[in-house]
Amino acid sequence: MSGILASLEHATGGLWPYFVVVIFGFLPTEVWRVLGVLAGKGLKEESEVFHWVRMVSTALVTAVVAKLLLSPQGALAMVPLWGRLGAVGVGLAVMFATRRSIAMGLISGEVALIAAGYWTAT
Amino acid sequence: MSSTLNSPATDTMSPLGHALRGGRDALGLPAITICFSLIGIGGLARDIGYPMLAGMLSSALMWAGPAQVLLFGSIATGTALPVAAIAVLFSSLRFMPMTISLVPLLNDPKRPLWQLLLAAHLISITNWVEGMRRLPDEPKPFRYPYFCGFGLVVLLSGTLATGAGYFLVGALPAVLAAALLFTTPMFFSVNLAGSVKRWPDVLPIVAAIALTPVATLLVGTDYDLVAAGLVGGTLAYGIERMMRHRRRA
Repeated sequence: MSGILASLEHATGGLWPYFVVVIFGFLPTEVWRVLGVLAGKGLKEESEVFHWVRMVSTALVTAVVAKLLLSPQGALAMVPLWGRLGAVGVGLAVMFATRRSIAMGLISGEVALIAAGYWTAT
Repeated sequence: MSSTLNSPATDTMSPLGHALRGGRDALGLPAITICFSLIGIGGLARDIGYPMLAGMLSSALMWAGPAQVLLFGSIATGTALPVAAIAVLFSSLRFMPMTISLVPLLNDPKRPLWQLLLAAHLISITNWVEGMRRLPDEPKPFRYPYFCGFGLVVLLSGTLATGAGYFLVGALPAVLAAALLFTTPMFFSVNLAGSVKRWPDVLPIVAAIALTPVATLLVGTDYDLVAAGLVGGTLAYGIERMMRHRRRA
């Protein structure tokens, strides 16, 4: 396998990065969207299965976000857990205090996170 | 039909008119959010010696921030490409239930499959949350062009930001780099909490937040998200259904 890939890399030359993005990035991501279309095409908006899938996908996306906050990769890891969760709390509180303004919630959450980052760095 | 979120539509508007309306609604917080989230991808592409256009291509084609981080991160650490592709496959599994739950909002009997596949390609966390929130307010015939216009503007913004990040990110202080990575979770949190209209809407959110750390401990980091999503979502569905039937009885 690695031999085949190495000779492909040689053969494609400067185009290799694009090849990698399509074969090892695009295909394994897009396959789920295609399967989702095939499975969701026949569903009615009012059906029980639709209710269930909607709950599962909301839970799944929430889980992705919870994981980004609880065990972050890269630069976000420099802000401690209390700073990350506290900033989300600030953003949510401001959002509800400003008649559900998404913009105000997002901005105040970001400001709180930056403040927590500077607080722990100094 | 009126809506506070979406730009007003008229019955004489062409599909292109609805697409432009969607695109206009996307130019604002959704576009800014995606720019902040994907700007870091450009830096990752540069770190592994890939050209700027390959980084931008990953945003336009993969259209999945966490999976792009995984792919470029794996290449940076010398992981074999087939192994990296399997990691990408697992991390992108969420797109299947996300697509299944969005397609019934877009579909109408005469819509050809290829058009649905094009719309499904635009699904990301941002576009999905916005689609689920905005589409029910749209009359059914307007939904498909509206979503395509909206989603395409968000995708193009993210792709351009990836190209800009190729040159910018190295110069950024660490705290600001952290703030960029914080954009997706923060945008999602306020968006989802703000869109709660009825009490059953909070059930899958609360269940997933409670279950994710437990799932990470029990089944490990490969399957924890799928486990938390399936168990939390099914639990939420069960509770909601029980309450619905009790009310009817």
